[in-house]
Amino acid sequence: MALLSMKNICKSFFGKRANNRVCFDLMPGEIHALLGENGAGKTTLMNILYGIYSRDSGVILWKGQEVSFTSPREAIACHIGMVHQHFMLVPTLTVSQNITLGLREKGYPFPDRKALNATITEVSEKYGLEIDVNAYISSLSVGEQQRVEIIKLLYRDAELLILDEPTAMLTPQETEYFFEVLRKLRADGRSVIIITHRIPEIMSITDRVTVLRDGCNVVTEKTSDITEQELSQYMIGRQLNSIQREPIVPDAGREGLLLEDVSLKEKNIKGLDSISLQIAPGEIVGVAGVDGNGQKELVEVILGIRKQSSGKIGLDGLDMSSMSVLERKKLGIGYISDDRQQDGLVMDMNLTDNMLLKTHTEQQFIKGGLINARLVWEDTKKVVEEYAIKTPDLNTPLRNLSGGNQQKLILAREMAGDPKAIVAHQPTRGLDIGATEFVQQQLLQRRSKGCCILLISADLEEILLLSDRIAVIYKGRFMGIFPNTKDLNLSHIGLMMAGRTSEVREESL
Amino acid sequence: MKQSGNVLSFLGIAILTLGISILLILMVGSNVNQAFFSFLSGIFGSFYSVSEVLVKAIPLILTGLGVAVGARSGFINIGAEGQLYMGAIAVTCMAFWLNDLPAILMIPLVILGGFVFGGVWSVIPGFLKARFGISEVITTLMFNYIAISIVGILVRTILKDPSSSLPMSAFLPDSATLPVFMSTTRLHAGLLVALISVVLVWILVWKTPIGYEMRAVGLNPRASKCSGISVYKNIVLSSLISGGLAGIAGVCEVSGLHHKLLEGISPGYGYIAIIVALLGKNHPLGVVISALGIAALQVGSLGMQRMAGVPTSISSIIMGVVVLLILARKSLFRRLLPDE
Amino acid sequence: MDSGFIALVTMYLIASVRMATPLILAGLGEAISEKAGILNIGVEAIMLSGAFFSFIVAFFTGNLFLGLLAGIMGGIFVSMIHGVLSIHCKANQTIAGLALNFMMMGLTSFLFLIVFGQTTTLPSCSVFSEVKIPLLSSIPIIGSALFNQNIFVYIALISIVLTAIFFYKTEWGINLHAVGEHPQAANSAGLNVFAIRYFACFVNGVLGGLGGASITLGQLGFFMENVTSGRGYIALVVVILGRRNPVGIFAAAMVIGFSQALQYNLQTLGFPIPTQVFSMFPYVVAVIVLFLSIGKSIDPSALGIPFERNKR
Repeated sequence: MALLSMKNICKSFFGKRANNRVCFDLMPGEIHALLGENGAGKTTLMNILYGIYSRDSGVILWKGQEVSFTSPREAIACHIGMVHQHFMLVPTLTVSQNITLGLREKGYPFPDRKALNATITEVSEKYGLEIDVNAYISSLSVGEQQRVEIIKLLYRDAELLILDEPTAMLTPQETEYFFEVLRKLRADGRSVIIITHRIPEIMSITDRVTVLRDGCNVVTEKTSDITEQELSQYMIGRQLNSIQREPIVPDAGREGLLLEDVSLKEKNIKGLDSISLQIAPGEIVGVAGVDGNGQKELVEVILGIRKQSSGKIGLDGLDMSSMSVLERKKLGIGYISDDRQQDGLVMDMNLTDNMLLKTHTEQQFIKGGLINARLVWEDTKKVVEEYAIKTPDLNTPLRNLSGGNQQKLILAREMAGDPKAIVAHQPTRGLDIGATEFVQQQLLQRRSKGCCILLISADLEEILLLSDRIAVIYKGRFMGIFPNTKDLNLSHIGLMMAGRTSEVREESL
Repeated sequence: MKQSGNVLSFLGIAILTLGISILLILMVGSNVNQAFFSFLSGIFGSFYSVSEVLVKAIPLILTGLGVAVGARSGFINIGAEGQLYMGAIAVTCMAFWLNDLPAILMIPLVILGGFVFGGVWSVIPGFLKARFGISEVITTLMFNYIAISIVGILVRTILKDPSSSLPMSAFLPDSATLPVFMSTTRLHAGLLVALISVVLVWILVWKTPIGYEMRAVGLNPRASKCSGISVYKNIVLSSLISGGLAGIAGVCEVSGLHHKLLEGISPGYGYIAIIVALLGKNHPLGVVISALGIAALQVGSLGMQRMAGVPTSISSIIMGVVVLLILARKSLFRRLLPDE
Repeated sequence: MDSGFIALVTMYLIASVRMATPLILAGLGEAISEKAGILNIGVEAIMLSGAFFSFIVAFFTGNLFLGLLAGIMGGIFVSMIHGVLSIHCKANQTIAGLALNFMMMGLTSFLFLIVFGQTTTLPSCSVFSEVKIPLLSSIPIIGSALFNQNIFVYIALISIVLTAIFFYKTEWGINLHAVGEHPQAANSAGLNVFAIRYFACFVNGVLGGLGGASITLGQLGFFMENVTSGRGYIALVVVILGRRNPVGIFAAAMVIGFSQALQYNLQTLGFPIPTQVFSMFPYVVAVIVLFLSIGKSIDPSALGIPFERNKR
């Protein structure tokens, strides 16, 4: 009998269907992948199970009983636990305090920390999850925080663990270690649901897989009975176009984007460690690496949003090391941030005002000290047509546009006026396939026009697809830069992402 | 549908407010009809009473405009009261020091002085917020008390009128007083100052690149920074303008109305300003309308006290209730409003 | 030591403790509220309500304890309005607090006029008398300052101890901290964020109401318009100076209480210094302390931010 079965779950946000009659079954003691693209409704489904969202309709059976959790507390009481993609830990509390948060342990409300710590250590050692119980969360690495989250669930004796994109922030080696833990959990009779969009990973660890697409479930199958190609077809719904890159046209007159020994030290933490890189005009350099290894720091230093502690940054022979963000942008750098809602757009402003974010300092849009509203309007209208941005009108706040259309507006704004360089940080994050392809095509178009492009992505596939050269970043350092050729050794890149250079060298000898 | 729901919800607030007012009037034991009649005649009954509404509206427009400008860049200015008093100090000091100047020079100078004093009083919290992230809600609040204390000290010491036993300054020289429009009323040229300020602020905030930057910073400081807009510069600038406008309100109260510095020249205009800005949706035109409305409420409640015996504190209750209802609007009238 | 000097110190200490009591009570309440993420600048309204209702009930029943209870209820009434607006309606907490200040300022004065009419002499009631605690009160200096006082002083002192235990020794304190620091995490750990925040508002009302009652039933014995005269705002200052730490709040309130005691004394002695020099003091100190705390983030991360459960 199924441990959990969800039937015909429906949920809408603002009139948009996030889950449409989704069905899902889970057997006891299995590791089950919930596979789908961003926005396919995986997390929504699990949040409904966990009592974070309320469902519009549908039935949930847990151990054969109909349940309907209105808060995580009730889910936890039924031994269901969830680790969110963004960890739910209080940074100013200790590991131990976080693990017991919300529980009524012996002696409540006066906790016996020593006894609690002993129990926590016992649980963590059983599954090989080592942790310092007295450390503050804010001092832990991402991998350690994930361990705390899992211990938290095990401490509550979770029979079902729901893990949302658990490997997104892990190196390939950390991922392997993490899978070991999962196997121990399965051997112990616990069940695991992994929410993910990474097909290769689930092949080795999961027993079954359910694919969601556009809020509907497409297929549920034993992992051993299905191939990666089939899964990717189910997930995407069609074949991916492969992109043809033309050879770089050398431009002797330009130096391109140049970084010399750039380091960043903030609050005694080294964000970047002597980064050197030259991107030629018409070249795309992809930066591969696990999230949080200095990627954000790198792009923000290039843009001038943060100031490098040492080193030189130049564009076409001009030293811009000490220039402001505005000066650099006027020099011809376009910026596509990884967080468009926070960094790229003012969500409560309309389309014209968001275009102004760049143009309000340009003389042509200013007449007698005032903004030339008519010109701005015409400019925006042109852009909307050119990039086929779907919007009711130009006065619509960006908040009401889809993610793809928001990103198109950013592209339009940042690529206006033929920039000499583009810094694209996760430019396709959270976009559907169509929008992703559009963005990638735009980048390639710029490349053929002689733009220097720095592409940073956590998605190795995207890097491999677009880049001329690939740099691997780990803890703020470039571990190596390789030309993107057919005989590229992927396992080397994986090891470098995990910070292991020596092994790479030995192997290549 | 969306629009009508909104209108209906505000109508609901109006009805609730009216109901509460009637309840309060009944509690006093007054006749409701008479109370409302005296309220309206307190406002529209005579030329003088209408002019009194305008007199009250002057400081409310200026301080409300100040709060609104600050709010546009995300600077929550609870300190308009203190900034108003700093402006009042500025005009008094300058008037006595420069008492030889003709009015044509004196008036612009004291207005500028009030702007600078009020601005400085607000730019310090603005700087602390922009540079160090210290919450301006608390600092501006504390600066109010410091400013009011400074006025108390000044009117008892160096600015004290030696010929009076009361803590107040001597009368300002004539050159430093704003002309009165009509001798039978107290309505002074401060109204012009206020209206000119409204137009200037409207142009600044909605038509210029600087105003655009301020609005962008207020809505999303992070994106502004990434686009090369200085968050620091814009918060400091808008806090300066915000306090400066409140300072001008102080100048108008002293030069136009009291003609001397004394304690309590503002019955909480600086706090009411926050309500004015809220009701006016931080838009210059909205500020004018809501300032007129609140001024009318206060003047009308005076009439109600005179003729119907309802205590004037009813206006303070109504102001509080209206704001509370507006804050609760989306929950109270959820069925009427579209899903958001 | 000179016995006259000791007597003077003792006298000032006694006066300081009395002045500090409303600030300690209201300050502790606000600290609990802020720890849970609710910034209520309507402390003045809570205190005013507490002062008013405690006086009215004490006046008409003649029973001070009933008055005290009514003061607590009055405080809860105001604080819960703020709570509902902040938690349920997700409104701007600063503006809600401000609006409550307006409303209660008007309402207490309005109701007072309705009940007593325009009077030349203020109606008055008796106040809580001092209760001497055996043994403890005979400790020199501190004894008479802390242990020969009225019931409000004892409630304040006990509240300090209880709040400190609550904050630092119980699981509840950790829950409160979690809710103010990272409500999503608290929610996901199974805590009821809304309930904990409402609880914090409730306690804020109880303590703030007591603070207000301590002014009418502990010090003055009468009520008049705006009787709290800005003490609610000073309580906010106390919370900042004391950094939301109960002992810190006690220390800050004592310093301010002392400056107020000094102010009254100099006033009666006829010193030529304007009293405003002293009344300005706590605010100036608070600004300086804020300056000195630059770079150390001391506010709960979610202070003033509504929590949305179904948020996407």
